[in-house]
Amino acid sequence: MELKPLPAAASMLLVSVVALSFSMPAAAYAQAAQTPALDPTNAGKGVFSKANCVGCHKWHGNGGGGYGGDALSLRKTELTREQFIETVGCGRPGTAMPFFTRGAYDEVKCHDMNRQEAGAQMPPEGGTFLRPKDIEAVTDYVIAHIKGAGEPNYAECITFFGSASRACDIYKAQEQKPEDAVANTGKSK
Amino acid sequence: MERFSGHLRIGARARLLAVTVAAGGMMAALPASAADGVNQERLLNVDKEPGNWLHHHQNYAAHRFSTLKQITRDNVKNLKVAWTMHLGGVEGGGIWSHGGLEGTPIAENGFLYVTDGWGSVYKIDAHGGRGVLVWKMDPKTDHDWAGAVACCGVDNRGVALWGDLVISHTLDGRLIATNKETGQVKWQRTVADPDKGEVITGAPLIVKNMAITGVAGAEYGIRGWLAATDLTTEKEVWRTHTIPGKGEPGSETWKDNNNAAAAGGGSTWVTGSYDPAIDTIFWGTGNPGPDWDNAYRPGDNLYTDSSLALDANTGKIKWHYQHTPNDPYDYDSVAERVLVDVPGPSGPLKLALEADRNGFAYAIDRTTGKFVWGLPFVKKVTWTKGLDAETGKPIEYDPNKAVQTYVTSVTPSRTNMETDICPGNMGGKNWPPTAYNPDLKLWYIPVIESCNRIKVEVATPDKLKPREFWTGGGPSQPFKITGSVTAIDVTTGKIAGKLETPFPNLGGILATSDLVFTGQPSGEVMALDAKSLQKLWEFNTGGGVNAPPMTFTVDGKQYVAILVGLGGAWDKWFIDSTPELKKIQPGSMLYVFAL
Repeated sequence: MELKPLPAAASMLLVSVVALSFSMPAAAYAQAAQTPALDPTNAGKGVFSKANCVGCHKWHGNGGGGYGGDALSLRKTELTREQFIETVGCGRPGTAMPFFTRGAYDEVKCHDMNRQEAGAQMPPEGGTFLRPKDIEAVTDYVIAHIKGAGEPNYAECITFFGSASRACDIYKAQEQKPEDAVANTGKSK
Repeated sequence: MERFSGHLRIGARARLLAVTVAAGGMMAALPASAADGVNQERLLNVDKEPGNWLHHHQNYAAHRFSTLKQITRDNVKNLKVAWTMHLGGVEGGGIWSHGGLEGTPIAENGFLYVTDGWGSVYKIDAHGGRGVLVWKMDPKTDHDWAGAVACCGVDNRGVALWGDLVISHTLDGRLIATNKETGQVKWQRTVADPDKGEVITGAPLIVKNMAITGVAGAEYGIRGWLAATDLTTEKEVWRTHTIPGKGEPGSETWKDNNNAAAAGGGSTWVTGSYDPAIDTIFWGTGNPGPDWDNAYRPGDNLYTDSSLALDANTGKIKWHYQHTPNDPYDYDSVAERVLVDVPGPSGPLKLALEADRNGFAYAIDRTTGKFVWGLPFVKKVTWTKGLDAETGKPIEYDPNKAVQTYVTSVTPSRTNMETDICPGNMGGKNWPPTAYNPDLKLWYIPVIESCNRIKVEVATPDKLKPREFWTGGGPSQPFKITGSVTAIDVTTGKIAGKLETPFPNLGGILATSDLVFTGQPSGEVMALDAKSLQKLWEFNTGGGVNAPPMTFTVDGKQYVAILVGLGGAWDKWFIDSTPELKKIQPGSMLYVFAL
């Protein structure tokens, strides 16, 4: 899916991101917005969906509490590329973040532990296994498009879902009438 | 062949009905084709057609009791699969990796009407000892839009029939009327709005040409409601919010400065019941939001966690009874109200029964809304020492306190940020329906024998965002969870029996004269003796039972049907408490059994 260049949205994001002092990812995001077709970081988007990262971190990566405990925000994370790759492959011991490398904690040591040593801290197995290339791709996707981004917006949402779903309408409404859409007012129709 | 004979018979019946209707001069406003369909008279008198299953909960009183007597305690051991049918709707969307089946089939004149999680409706011809798909209506539900704000799965609990229409809901907020013969959508209407975090999972309740719709979304900051749609004009007749507006009675029970009431929850996602004698609809309401930070919303938070009695014509609340004021546990009182009449000291008692997520079974006088009796139906309750014998409120409840703490050491709060509660937040009983045997006066509850751990996150107004969780914390599952079928003698308000099961009961119950049917998420469908709860028959479906059984006849022969396909909240949020269930695969299948 191509990201249409939306200068207004992009620059707004840049301002908010710089304000949060995440200048590197902001540059990456802006770059992605300008050269969508050639951007190799888009390849990991499919992995992000296929491996059900969206199940806890949501499409926008913000994660958050709720019934599923507390998935960390990939937008606010400070993990490096190497740490990302390790976390996706090995999961996070003691949390619900699954491992996605076939044989992790068995043939492949993780955090210097095997399954036995991990014991009760053993993370769950992902719903699908990812090859190293896929793990790098999803990492590069998250770093380029999610890490360091501010609040999710319409352009970003449409890039993820396309226009077939109404999943992004709420962001459009917020951008048009921000004062009315801050919170669910629960008003009757 | 069988289909033709079925249609011929319906044709004859239709002519007969048409004559009757013309003679009575009734229903003149309805189209002629409605005459052979379901009308209020038939919905009121389902006991006259025991081979059909016309209501979601079997009758208006939500008994889920069948008088069919071919399958008995003596021959149930011979029950076998008659036929099966694979359905669709397993695909994921939003935060869900797959859908599941929670529906109750509707049966009329040898045809079944079932739904999958995404709201596709299947009409199945069950004549001749096998199932043939007549049509499938796919509402093309917006998976990502709805699935992102469905707290607890890709679920649809079934349809209702009215005139020549099949009435159904979709997760993305629509009420749909489909032509019963052709499967073509006749009309549809948007009732709920996923942009506000609202979705629909329950089956509609049909009362006097109106479809009553409940809403889900108390984990997403909705303000709950019930809505009635006129099935002729397709217009809304009434909409009653379960959280009072500013200045309305009950608004004084929201004492915060955050406008918490506007996102206060009080969802209505389980189909209610109806008492025609007093023209009153009974419906339960869900938890207040944010779920676990009750200091954000001081006050009792009416009408969350309540039993509501509503005037069927206007939707006006006649009375309310709140079960867990200022709830800090996520203990919805959303379960079906089972309407029963039992002898009392001074004349018959007209009761509304409810098995609450808080672990207590309640009998409320359905005329006055007064508490009659209550008792724990789960093995372990830690959040309260019990109910006040007079009022039925938890004994620690203090009406002068803005923020309730109940058993303080157990209760999640801003000073008790991580704590274990029993029952767990999924409750002692969730949506899976109870059943009531009016001959034995026994009420059967599908129980989740549970505890879990709650971590509180302090809620602040800036954290309230459209389409994002609004829970003030979250649960985790460090404890093994099991289940039971628990029977309560309604004449005494005491437990009459408990059959413990290795897994929680996530499907619900069917009662017949001498049997109880139920299932397990590990795959078993089983029949129990109605009095002793002794297991008499079992069949492993190879999937996860997450839906209630029902029974019907075709060509004079009795069948038991159940949808099988584990989905819903359990296998995403609570699976760590039942690790063995991780091996249960997603599925979507209808099983039909016969002798």
